[in-house]
Amino acid sequence: MFYVESRIVLIEVGGADVLARAWKAWPMASSAGVSTGSTSAGEGFFRAVRGKLAIIVVFSLIGAITRIFPLIGIVELARTLWPALSGGPVVAGRAWLVAVLSAVSLVVTFAASSISTEISHLADDDLQLDLRSRIIEHLRRLPLGWFDSRSSGAVRKATENDVSALHQLVAHTINDVITAVTVPIISIAYLFGTEWHMALACILPILIAGVLYIVMMSGGQEKYAQYDASIVRLNAATIEYVHGIAVVKTFGQTGRSHQRYRDETGRFVDFYGGWMRETTTTQSLVEIVTSPVVILVYLCAIGSWLVSTGVTTVPGILPALLLGIGLTAPLLNLGFSAQFIRNAVQARESLVAFFAEPETPQPDAPLEPSGHTIAMDRVGFSYDGEHDVLHEITTRCAPGSVTALVGASGSGKSTLARLIPRFYDVGSGAVSIGEVDVRDMAAETLYSQVGFVFQDSYLLRTTVRANIRLTRPQADRQQIEEAARAAQIHDRILRLPRGYDSVIGEDAHLSGGEAQRLTIARALLTDAPILVLDEATAFADPDSEAAIQRALSALAADRTLVVIAHRLHTITNADQLLVLDGGRIVERGTHAELVARGGLYHDMWRAYEASRTTGPTASTTTEAHQ
Amino acid sequence: MIRKLLSLASPRGRSLLRRLIGWIVAGAILQGLAFLALVPWLRALITGDMASADRWLIVLIVIGVCYAASFWIANKLGQRSATEVLSSLLDRFGDRLVDLPAAWFSKDRSGEMADIATRGTVFAASAPYAIMRPVLSAFITPATVLVGAVFLEWRIALVMAVSVPLIWWVFRWLQVMTARFDRDQVVAVGESSSRVIEFARVQPALRVAGSSSIAAGLIDDALHAEDRAKRRMHVGGGAGIGVFGLVVHIAIIAVIILGTWLALHEAIGVASLIPLLILVVRFTEPIWQSGALGGGMSIAANTLDQIQALVDEAGLPEPATPATPEGHGIRFDDVTFGYGGTPVLRHLSFEVPDGSMTAIVGPSGSGKTTITRLIARFYDPEQGVVSIGGVPLPELGSSEVLRSVAPVFQDVYLFDGTILDNIWLGNPGAGRQEVLEAGRRARVDEIADRLPEGWDAHVGEGGTNLSGGERQRISIARALLKNAPIVLLDEATASLDIDNERAIQGAFDAVRTGRTLVVVAHRLQTISTADRIVMLDEHGGIAEQGTHRELIAAGGVYARYWSERVDAAGWRLTAAQQVTSTSTTSQMKEN
Repeated sequence: MFYVESRIVLIEVGGADVLARAWKAWPMASSAGVSTGSTSAGEGFFRAVRGKLAIIVVFSLIGAITRIFPLIGIVELARTLWPALSGGPVVAGRAWLVAVLSAVSLVVTFAASSISTEISHLADDDLQLDLRSRIIEHLRRLPLGWFDSRSSGAVRKATENDVSALHQLVAHTINDVITAVTVPIISIAYLFGTEWHMALACILPILIAGVLYIVMMSGGQEKYAQYDASIVRLNAATIEYVHGIAVVKTFGQTGRSHQRYRDETGRFVDFYGGWMRETTTTQSLVEIVTSPVVILVYLCAIGSWLVSTGVTTVPGILPALLLGIGLTAPLLNLGFSAQFIRNAVQARESLVAFFAEPETPQPDAPLEPSGHTIAMDRVGFSYDGEHDVLHEITTRCAPGSVTALVGASGSGKSTLARLIPRFYDVGSGAVSIGEVDVRDMAAETLYSQVGFVFQDSYLLRTTVRANIRLTRPQADRQQIEEAARAAQIHDRILRLPRGYDSVIGEDAHLSGGEAQRLTIARALLTDAPILVLDEATAFADPDSEAAIQRALSALAADRTLVVIAHRLHTITNADQLLVLDGGRIVERGTHAELVARGGLYHDMWRAYEASRTTGPTASTTTEAHQ
Repeated sequence: MIRKLLSLASPRGRSLLRRLIGWIVAGAILQGLAFLALVPWLRALITGDMASADRWLIVLIVIGVCYAASFWIANKLGQRSATEVLSSLLDRFGDRLVDLPAAWFSKDRSGEMADIATRGTVFAASAPYAIMRPVLSAFITPATVLVGAVFLEWRIALVMAVSVPLIWWVFRWLQVMTARFDRDQVVAVGESSSRVIEFARVQPALRVAGSSSIAAGLIDDALHAEDRAKRRMHVGGGAGIGVFGLVVHIAIIAVIILGTWLALHEAIGVASLIPLLILVVRFTEPIWQSGALGGGMSIAANTLDQIQALVDEAGLPEPATPATPEGHGIRFDDVTFGYGGTPVLRHLSFEVPDGSMTAIVGPSGSGKTTITRLIARFYDPEQGVVSIGGVPLPELGSSEVLRSVAPVFQDVYLFDGTILDNIWLGNPGAGRQEVLEAGRRARVDEIADRLPEGWDAHVGEGGTNLSGGERQRISIARALLKNAPIVLLDEATASLDIDNERAIQGAFDAVRTGRTLVVVAHRLQTISTADRIVMLDEHGGIAEQGTHRELIAAGGVYARYWSERVDAAGWRLTAAQQVTSTSTTSQMKEN
């Protein structure tokens, strides 16, 4: 990337675009703690490091200012020793003083910039820890529905990429910016103070480089956007290539996918090469004009001319020879990090957006439910605020009853089930448990009432024991083992290398069905009076189906159940069936009633029965299913 | 690092790289010479010898022009070699992926590979120019100056020379130490980000747990461990860079003090001292900063190592002239195989007669899918022989094996194209009518009817617009179109909705006729209608094999498995009555 980046640098540094953006990313920092009217989610973004900012700035300043002192010291040393040339007396004390001061300022500049670097890195550590902890805090408060759609990708990006990308901003940018601004200003001031002809001469290369920057800047942003886009395309092509290659290989030919990959890499190389070619000339010019050798030779020539024409003396040109060479380096250095700064600014924006995701509102005065009756009153819900996926749902589930939600995929049954444990808040109407709206309950109260077993098995990479007692950390050994036994998983756990102390994913590799039974053991231990089972009969592991069923039966006993099922026969004994179609309850009743009614459920049941009993090869099993 | 890059680049890239490095070295030496020439020029100027000063100025200008030219050429070469190396790395990478054995892809590598392609190759291609140049310059230029200084003022050169080994030693030490801290840090970062992602993933369960001490403890530990590792790295690495800087600075201070002393004792002319001091002080920065560049170099080297590892990845042995199989019966002879660790299959022997259907059943983790992978020669067994038509697979060769086998795996990958395109993949030579026919037989027509664009509907990246059952139907159509004599079928484990269940049944029936079929079976219907059943045990062996009737009659492991599955199929959920099985189990057992 550096090759590309060194270009971008040149494109952007001149325009001070990077600086402006980096500055914008520091609303707190730029005004040293005074709010500058940023968005509320951006408030205190850098709170963890605010105290350290002043220290970093001070040390960076000291480092930047003293950086020039040793050079000035050498000039002064030359002046002090100058009389020796014409055989005059030299003030030895002054020479030593200058030499020692130069040495000291070398140490000071080195120490100050090291300290500023060190502190800013430690500040970055503080910020990263703080941000990651805040991400965790925020995750705890987001609506559960948020995790359905995008969780792992977004969370991965926030914690890994975004937080790390901020490193540049905190650990480097302050120091880099201060150095890039201070060193040239002080140098030029000193040069003008000593010999203005040479000072002017020193500014010329910067001006030329500036003009060339501007030439390069034109169209640079657009090119960079194109570069980003071509990276995205190459990324997609590679992913498809790798995914598809397994398929392609098994079909014995490597045509399509390979071609697409080749096309994309070809396009990428062409773009990259073209961009390099276009900018190499200007970039080379800039680099040559600002290179120490060329500036040195140029200053030597000017100095020679000025001395020989008597405009100035040799001591007059010395400062320029020493300081003139180093004027551009800090700017280039800042430029080198332009891309990192850009990423950091984007990362901050995306983290601010993440923190701005609305949290689940909590009641000010939480209420306690009385009883375990679930009631839905004219519930409507929409994911996007435009298209309602549930309309006017009204129903009651008596304590200890079984309610089955039935319907085609997309009918809204999963959404409806998720409203009970408040994965989402209703758009209109209300969901209540024990006569209390779920929105008026404290989260702990709600989740002590409602347990759920979904297809995902939500296991943590820790011991089996800790996984079972996750929701009741105080549960003792005996209670844990009882739950595991009831969930038909105790024997399997004992066969693991370290039994209950085996760690999931390390020495406990469980099949889908086994993981599901472990989750059921956890739910048994939680002992919530209401249980929502989402497709609990769609097993991840058909070969342990029977064991899961026994576990589920143990779990279902004496609870209020809400079940979603594809296999209709499993819920024929339910107390009530709610048949959903297009987000509405179109039929309700018992299995027998609904079959007799001859409506939608009747048709579904017929189709289901047919699928289990017909088919040209099914004759041997027909009886089995009836 | 240069060696690694040269070995990976194309011949053209190699020659460009060699020339590039040559010019970078030339530029660095010229830079050193320019600074050296400063000394006699300034000395002449100070002593008022204008003729000599003009001569040296001309030398300076010549060096400057040569330097600019070398810089210019190096830049052009850098640009060309970056493009050339990028292109050859990407090609090398792409070609290599095609050659890798199918087994290599059994794990999802797409993230890792996309990272190599987009970030790694660009970084590696630009490294010679962007990283090598500053690093080479940081060492070659001072070295040139040092050698020159011996002729100009040996005492100061001696002080500089003494510091060189020390600086070098500290530089190496710094690199080693940084690498160690970096490794620890990478581990801690990986651990904490996987914890955070886990925390998000299991969030629904954690809500139930409230402010669970268990989960909070796990995540806190990981975050603090990461913080500690980072601090160790920043404090340790910072101290290391500090020591490096200190050594460099001590050397410079020694030169300043020595120079002053020499000048005051008139052992050295002021005219010589001043330019020498300019030299020394101006070179502090590049050397000091080369410490950080070393890091960039090791990142580039890591990327090259990744690509090299890919190139070195071993393939399966292939025959010079592939043998011809007789028929398409499949045979396992005393096969033992594991994925590196404990064997999944142990001393497995069974036969699948030509044209028959064999169902493989067994508990989860017993190696059912592994058997189909061995038939498709994703791997060769560690021991024993897998053969098709009487020929061991290594003699048949991978391409011949893949020609005879059409796999329908559980998790089907579809390309981001149309339904039709994805079926076509099975046999690109087929005509449109044949493709439609294969689609129809696998009941893909029902999917096409449902979608507005019909057969030309896009399936989305990886087929995400379709359900699992629908993807598997397309994959069956693909296998039908390929018309291979052997079909390997891994049945979906998750239960399907009614429509898919029926459609897949129809598709299976279409596949069966006239082919050798090996099915990893979960559905009772599939199992009971197989010609032969191979029942695996939990230890990678075969518990029983035979026909459904034989095995039921034997009343062994299979019979128990069957009755349990049949019971499960009739299970109902009730609150009042715990388990209700309404199936006529007894009737089945007699079956």
